Amino acid sequence: MHRDAFSTYHPLVNLAFFVSVIGFAMFLLHPVALGISFVCAAGYVLCIKGKKALRFGLIFMLPMLLFTAAMNPLFNHQGVTIVAFLPNGNPVTREAIIYGIAAAIMLITVITWFACVNAILTGDKMVYLFGRVAPALSLILSMSLRFVPRFIAQAKIISNAQKALGRKTSPFKILSMLVSWALENAIETADSMKARGYGLPNRTAFSIFTFTQRDALALLFFALNIAVILAGVAAGAYRFRYFPDIQGEWTGAGTLAVFTAYFLLCAFPLFLHVKEALYWKRTASVI
Amino acid sequence: MKYFPLITIPLTIFAGIHLLGDRRFLIIAGLVLIQAMLPIIVLFEGRKPPARVLVTMATLCAIAVAGRIAFFMLPQFKPMLALVIISGTALGKEKGFLIGAATIIVSNMFFGQGPWTPWQMFALGSIGYVAGVIFYEKKIRRIPLAIYGALAAIIIYGGIMNPASVLMFQPQPTAEMFILAYATGFPFDAVHAVATVVFLLLTARPMLEKIERMKVKYGDV
Repeated sequence: MHRDAFSTYHPLVNLAFFVSVIGFAMFLLHPVALGISFVCAAGYVLCIKGKKALRFGLIFMLPMLLFTAAMNPLFNHQGVTIVAFLPNGNPVTREAIIYGIAAAIMLITVITWFACVNAILTGDKMVYLFGRVAPALSLILSMSLRFVPRFIAQAKIISNAQKALGRKTSPFKILSMLVSWALENAIETADSMKARGYGLPNRTAFSIFTFTQRDALALLFFALNIAVILAGVAAGAYRFRYFPDIQGEWTGAGTLAVFTAYFLLCAFPLFLHVKEALYWKRTASVI
Repeated sequence: MKYFPLITIPLTIFAGIHLLGDRRFLIIAGLVLIQAMLPIIVLFEGRKPPARVLVTMATLCAIAVAGRIAFFMLPQFKPMLALVIISGTALGKEKGFLIGAATIIVSNMFFGQGPWTPWQMFALGSIGYVAGVIFYEKKIRRIPLAIYGALAAIIIYGGIMNPASVLMFQPQPTAEMFILAYATGFPFDAVHAVATVVFLLLTARPMLEKIERMKVKYGDV
């Protein structure tokens, strides 16, 4: 896997993209909107994670999809087209079945987007974003992120030392020693931080992320598309209902504009990825 | 600021039910979640906590995360909840909440963030908070702590995460769906409760003694 183009953007751009896309995925339940978001999310996760994502999808998402799709018609009895009756006398409606499928697709779309979040919005980016609004909390996050591997390594050191002393030490005892060491280490770290001036004003931050014109353009592009989608929803161009009977806008200029904007938004990282891949191929073939 | 959410949360619920359409329950729940967590974070940030406090909190958080990683192959059998209860007991309600919430963020960086992250943060944070309210600066006995651990796993954690799964993934939730979610979630919550009790009985005393020793040796942490 070569580097994904979208992950080289500023963390703020990554965050803005995922917040808007996941938000829309949870609230835009028009079948076309669901399809757009799902195809873009699945395409992107396949691009950045490859076969692993496909296997995960088949093993975990398919059962989840079926469960969610089945739950709706069993408990939701709205809708006018009755297909069958449950043993307890409640009707199963066609609308509820279709709604269940839509809800299930919404669910796996959101999970797929989060799979992309986990690949793109890595720990350092999250700490950076948190650091802007909550410096103390973000320091806790970044330190504990560092402490986890450090503690695991220290547990190994303690266990080796105990072995070298010829002792058989239970894992529980090792944990106890580890905690004592970790707490002492915490105070030492804190005192060392204080000695180096932690808490003084005019603090600078280590950050390798610079906000460039490219990032600004990406944000502008998101804002434009989001504005079109929201305007379309507000103007009634995007309208869909599942109950009591299925009705909605499918065509019409406004509706198509909403879907186009939604597609452009969702497919943005996918476009970048494909563009970079083609560019790489072309340059490689020239060499 | 402290009592601000007491006014805004009912307002949000009222306005949401009357004004919003599709998926209003999810929107309301999300807004309530934010309003409940924000004041604790803002108050904590405003106090400009010293380095010793921050590093101690990060350490407890990392121990809890390492515990989740160590037990990754046993579903639900995790020491995380027990360690957050211990943290809340030793450091008080506010830090207990933040350690719980931070533990979720960090551990989900290893296990995967999802739409469940904010709910888990709120659930585990509340468990740390309530532990602080009940046990902070009191004489600690293991049995009440263990009882609280079991109740916290089932009532607070399960009580938040089971309906959350319905709210997140069923656009039109019905009462039966919530009942089904509780019923299918209960076995997992029960395992979680057993794990919490076991870890509390085994680790609460030594852990609390160690943190107490830090306080005696170095002053307030």
